[in-house]
Amino acid sequence: MCHRRVVESNQNPDFPNQYLPQREQRQHRGDERANSSPAATMPPPLTHPLFSPPELSYTHTSLLLQPPIRPDARTPTQFRPIIAETNILPGTNGSARICFPDGNEAVVGVKAEVERSAGVIGSLLRKGGRGEGGGGDDNEEEGRKGVGENAWVELTIEIPGLRDDDALPVFLAAMLNEALLASGDLVDRLWINQRWHWKLYIDILLLSPPLSYPIPLLSLTTHLALLSARLPRLISEADEDPLFDNDWEASIHLYPRHNKSSEPTPSKPTATKPKPREQPPVTLLVTVVGENIFFDPSLEEIAVADLLLAVSISETIDDSEPPPEPKPTTTKPPRNIRLLSLRTIDPPARLTPPGVPDALNTAVTQAETPKNKAATTDADVDYSGVWVPPKGGSKRKLIGRIIQMVIEHGGVGEEVLEGLEGVDVG
Amino acid sequence: MPLDTSSYSLALLRLDGRRWNELRRIHAQISTQAAADGSSYLEMGNTKVICTIAGPAEVRRTGGGGSDAEIKVEIDIAGFSGVERKKRTKTDKRVAEMRYTIANAFSSSLLTHLYPRSTIQITLHILSQDGSLLAACLNAATLALIDAGIPMTDYIVACTAGSTSSYSSNDESADPLLDLNSSEEMELPFLTVGTLGAGEKVSVLVMETRAQIGRLEGMLAVGVDGCKQVREILDQVVRRHGKKLVNSIVE
Repeated sequence: MCHRRVVESNQNPDFPNQYLPQREQRQHRGDERANSSPAATMPPPLTHPLFSPPELSYTHTSLLLQPPIRPDARTPTQFRPIIAETNILPGTNGSARICFPDGNEAVVGVKAEVERSAGVIGSLLRKGGRGEGGGGDDNEEEGRKGVGENAWVELTIEIPGLRDDDALPVFLAAMLNEALLASGDLVDRLWINQRWHWKLYIDILLLSPPLSYPIPLLSLTTHLALLSARLPRLISEADEDPLFDNDWEASIHLYPRHNKSSEPTPSKPTATKPKPREQPPVTLLVTVVGENIFFDPSLEEIAVADLLLAVSISETIDDSEPPPEPKPTTTKPPRNIRLLSLRTIDPPARLTPPGVPDALNTAVTQAETPKNKAATTDADVDYSGVWVPPKGGSKRKLIGRIIQMVIEHGGVGEEVLEGLEGVDVG
Repeated sequence: MPLDTSSYSLALLRLDGRRWNELRRIHAQISTQAAADGSSYLEMGNTKVICTIAGPAEVRRTGGGGSDAEIKVEIDIAGFSGVERKKRTKTDKRVAEMRYTIANAFSSSLLTHLYPRSTIQITLHILSQDGSLLAACLNAATLALIDAGIPMTDYIVACTAGSTSSYSSNDESADPLLDLNSSEEMELPFLTVGTLGAGEKVSVLVMETRAQIGRLEGMLAVGVDGCKQVREILDQVVRRHGKKLVNSIVE
């Protein structure tokens, strides 16, 4: 069961929970070395950034400036260019691959299999609106169809050199899974009839060693793979054993598409109002340095971050509302973006070695007069230009600003979703 | 050949329309990933493999390392690669044997003595499997090792060869087949043969099924012949990449 942290208005700004206990990780790495697992020889750079204190201090100072200067000269909300393609694997229901210019690469394959539901009675009860709480759907809202179970979606992440039960892949998988299941819309669509359902396997492969925190890469790839995923069309009736249409051309998208009025809808000829369609989630990584907020941080930026935040959003497209008549303005209509979850990630900056100011450095002070010995209390030492690892904690106002930047009209969320729409998902 | 007894004997065409000595489409790319020291992407029909190389790098383990570089192979078979979704563990016997075979093959073709006390890590990601898995892995690894610039005596190229009749049937007119796909692999005896370069120097030979000894020679001959074709194709890929690289530097 994933630990869920659904955003509430009275969010605790301190985010005390850290999900990557370092001691545990070291232990894992310890066993691996004993097993002489090949890639265990080098810890992933994202938990142990290999930067010297002067480098960290330099990056930190330039990110603190107003306006900030990022190491790769991007603007704070600018994303790195990506190469994306979908439907690369004919053997899957949906697949996608994304390449970042720094060499990070991920492939996601979505596979669906028909599975017998656990019990008829259980599903009947659920259908009657009596949420059983099966599969850990603890925040079941009222009015939800609620026939699906969270266990119908299985998401695994494979990172080369890490074991399946390592903290990082497990944590990342829980985070992506949480966003995916947040609304319960997806699992409801996997319901075939009272006895059968689709079991959705989402396998995420990171092909490169994790160079920077891979959550945006994995999330964007999963988003595209889910958008391109199709399920065969059901041709059997109600509660019969399911039988599907052989014609792949007739298959239905797992996430229904814009059906512009030109496209006929053979399955539902009745004039029912189309339901608002929820799109797969996107998780963005945000870092905070001082008062500055940065999207899509690179490894250097993560290494000095005060706060590392994973923000999951999803868009709901409501076809029933006719799009507002084209106004003479050129602005696009606002998208209906919803915040799904917000999680802090233990920033690796906490573990970086601190810089030693000259006043405390015996190699420097030895040459000078011994009176400097007095300057050993913290207050006397000048820490400017010396790297001090952040102690954590962030202001509530800042978190609020991040959320607003993501979901507001013309914000980062809209920009990302717009960019993803440029990818042909078949 | 229970799968297509009727069609093969009539037209001498296999289920996917190939003749006995035809390879499937091989498509390959090298330098596909910027983060790796060497990388390649290889398709043999519907079998798709991505290979990345890390190294030669220093051995971090204490007490390890000899006078030659050590070759380590990691094979990751994606859960979605087969027809049914199946998660393979890293300790799977079949995968372990493939890892060993690949490491063994390359330790003889690579000039490992040039890199003492170091490791060359070959990581293979299998995205889609449709027969000839080991052969595809060997070919992909060859390309990635070339991309990584690790000196080698020649390409290791591999393909599979089978026989149209199963072990028990006494079919005198059994034809050898080249480059089997997964449905043929399930039905027919087959072997994977890997050669060093275009010669007849066999460096890998794996057979897990039973075949009558009389048919082995034919299968092997067809396989070695197929390896020559594969080498030609891989060589073209490398040359094309080299030409592109030179052009990008000159301009």
